[in-house]
Amino acid sequence: MTDVKSDKSNKSASGWSRRDVLKASSVGAAGAAAPMFFTKNAWADGHESIGNYPVKGSEVVFGFNVPQTGAYADEGADELRAYKLAVKHLNNGGGMLDTLKPSMLSGNGVLGKKVAYVTGDTQTNADASRTSARRMIERDKVIMVTGGSSSGIAIAQQYLCNELGIIFMCGLTHSNDTTGKDKQRYGFRHFFNAHMTGKALAPVLSKEYGKDRRAFHLTADYSWGHTQQQSMQEFTEKEGWGTAGNIMTPLKTTDFSQYLAQVMNSDADVLVLNHYGANMVNSLTNAVNFGMRDMQKNGKNLEIVVPLYSRLMAKGAGSANIDGVLGTSGWNWALQDAGSQVFVDAFVAEYGFPPSQAAHTCYVQTLLYANACEMAGSFYPPAVIKALEDFEFDGAGNGSTLYRGADHQCIKSMLVMKGKSPSARSSDFDYLEVVQEVDRATANYDPSIFPGELGPYKPA
Amino acid sequence: MFDLSTNALFMMLLTGLQMGSIYVLIALGLTLIFGTLGVVNFAHGALYLVAIYLAVSINDAMGFGFALILVPAILFVLGVAMERGLIQYFYNRPHTDQILVTFGLAIVIQEVLKWFFGANNIPFAIPSWGNGIIMMHEWFPFLEGFVVYPKWRLILVVVSIITVAAVFALLHLTTFGLVIRAGMRDPEMLQFLGVNINRRFMIVFGLGSLIAGVAGVFGGPVTQVSPEVGMHLLVPSFLVVVIGGMGSLSGAVLAGVLIGMAQSFTAHDINLSTIIVYLITVIVLLVRPRGLLGAKGVFE
Repeated sequence: MTDVKSDKSNKSASGWSRRDVLKASSVGAAGAAAPMFFTKNAWADGHESIGNYPVKGSEVVFGFNVPQTGAYADEGADELRAYKLAVKHLNNGGGMLDTLKPSMLSGNGVLGKKVAYVTGDTQTNADASRTSARRMIERDKVIMVTGGSSSGIAIAQQYLCNELGIIFMCGLTHSNDTTGKDKQRYGFRHFFNAHMTGKALAPVLSKEYGKDRRAFHLTADYSWGHTQQQSMQEFTEKEGWGTAGNIMTPLKTTDFSQYLAQVMNSDADVLVLNHYGANMVNSLTNAVNFGMRDMQKNGKNLEIVVPLYSRLMAKGAGSANIDGVLGTSGWNWALQDAGSQVFVDAFVAEYGFPPSQAAHTCYVQTLLYANACEMAGSFYPPAVIKALEDFEFDGAGNGSTLYRGADHQCIKSMLVMKGKSPSARSSDFDYLEVVQEVDRATANYDPSIFPGELGPYKPA
Repeated sequence: MFDLSTNALFMMLLTGLQMGSIYVLIALGLTLIFGTLGVVNFAHGALYLVAIYLAVSINDAMGFGFALILVPAILFVLGVAMERGLIQYFYNRPHTDQILVTFGLAIVIQEVLKWFFGANNIPFAIPSWGNGIIMMHEWFPFLEGFVVYPKWRLILVVVSIITVAAVFALLHLTTFGLVIRAGMRDPEMLQFLGVNINRRFMIVFGLGSLIAGVAGVFGGPVTQVSPEVGMHLLVPSFLVVVIGGMGSLSGAVLAGVLIGMAQSFTAHDINLSTIIVYLITVIVLLVRPRGLLGAKGVFE
């Protein structure tokens, strides 16, 4: 017993032998490393796991969540065509890969992985879109979700993706809220918005129809309609116009006669249809049936304005009805810049007809995400987000463009459009003519005018 | 926002009447089928959908005259085929089974039409004689200034009145109508008397479809031609049947106009216009559980 005691008395003055120090060091090292051993994929690229990062295997999967049924199904079908074309170009080269600058895309997939995709149907319904996006994320392990065609649906998906650590590249969504009060760190919008429409369109309206006008708004009763109406009212009033009234109309309305009767009873001499898709087609057709395009009010011709135009809508309404009606678009297939032309050529070669503006924004969003991954050198979402934020690019169809870091809104040029008369049309796709290309500086605005915070780079 | 000037009231009344006309045309077929066969036909909106797509296609290819003759005839045949091929097997099944099968059928029809014609609206060209506007102030001197209304929508109101009159005449002035009305009261007794009521019920189902055909030809340019229209009109049309009294034709007419008016007069306020139909339904069912003109002993 004494000997043993004696052995132990050989310890250093601090009471630790060399063996104790070695033992403690190895236990300490193992303990310090333990959280990383037990954290799934903690070592991949030196980043922790977020959402479906890290990407395993030789493929990376994108999720295309578009309306395949419901009011915006035709627009959704065109978006899906564009997404498939983008994947083809990412894997094999071609299209805007030749014009996008700066670009690290090589046409050999993304970060050496072949791009695959899954599709979902949002049904033009927020709940259905969330269910579909969640399925893509949890079952199909998509690294990015993109799609939309309605702001309510885009915003719903944006919130979900932000929560789950998946980047959401918005498709066609025009509400101020998407990159305003509902903006999210994981959501990015290439398409322009209602505020930019009002800012660009109001001076043209004032020039065309004069400053002494009174507008009556019919407004789709959801996020986009509300912000579109507010922006149109704000900017037309800045031009000196009055506002005679505003009626919210349910999204599923097909007969607008009860609302048009109210407009006709008012002293308004301009009807602003804050409607999109089938809504706009029906309200405009109804207004024409009510003789409103041939009517006079306050000694002036009653004018109809459609703030957000698309070729598919114009076709649905018929060129006789949209002849001379003013509105705005994000892009048009007739633009002559190199980026637009390569995209139109590739789309026509693939599908036999030119793309819509919805197709354009979806195609560009897919390429921009892929390029951001290449720039970041990783699929790690915070790194990809940082690569997209304040990214300046050109060659994607809207001239020099900034992906503004403050609100994730693309600041770029846009178009004021006018409906063509039946005799002025050259093809079944030629419904709108460009009245004015509004430059990036004019379309730009201070992001702080809208509330909301982007939130942290790492989801809670 | 709510304007009570003479012009405004007149326009709202006219719009209510026009909106009610569509509901009446659809609800007439529904209540006829429910009143005679006891079948809750949720596919009736889809029949209207078939009618508007047929009407726009025939109108574009052959002209409106052909659409006017062919669409109701095709819808009659389709209705008879539907009754013989499907509905007759559900006569003695619970209402829930009938609702499920007809609702399922409606979705299938809607998706098939969307597959063929796309989800976007198809423009329905109004024939030249129905195009344009009527100068209402020239007909009604009490109106101030310039008041116009689309000619086609007024034609729709007239067509609706003629259709209602024709159905009433058929049911009240013919032997066929007498048997049908007797069948609505007591089908068992009628069969004991040796009347083949099933054959007549088949014709009634075809007749209900035919009315949907008429509604499609004249209502298509008003409700527009897109796949969602059928479902969109189905709910208010069913409520019209319930408010009017199950199986009551005159009740359907009254309730159709009432709902149309209610929607027209509340159009300025989306919150009110969204709930007004349901509010009226609740109040009517509380005060008159059989509906406005529902007869005692029929479907109780």
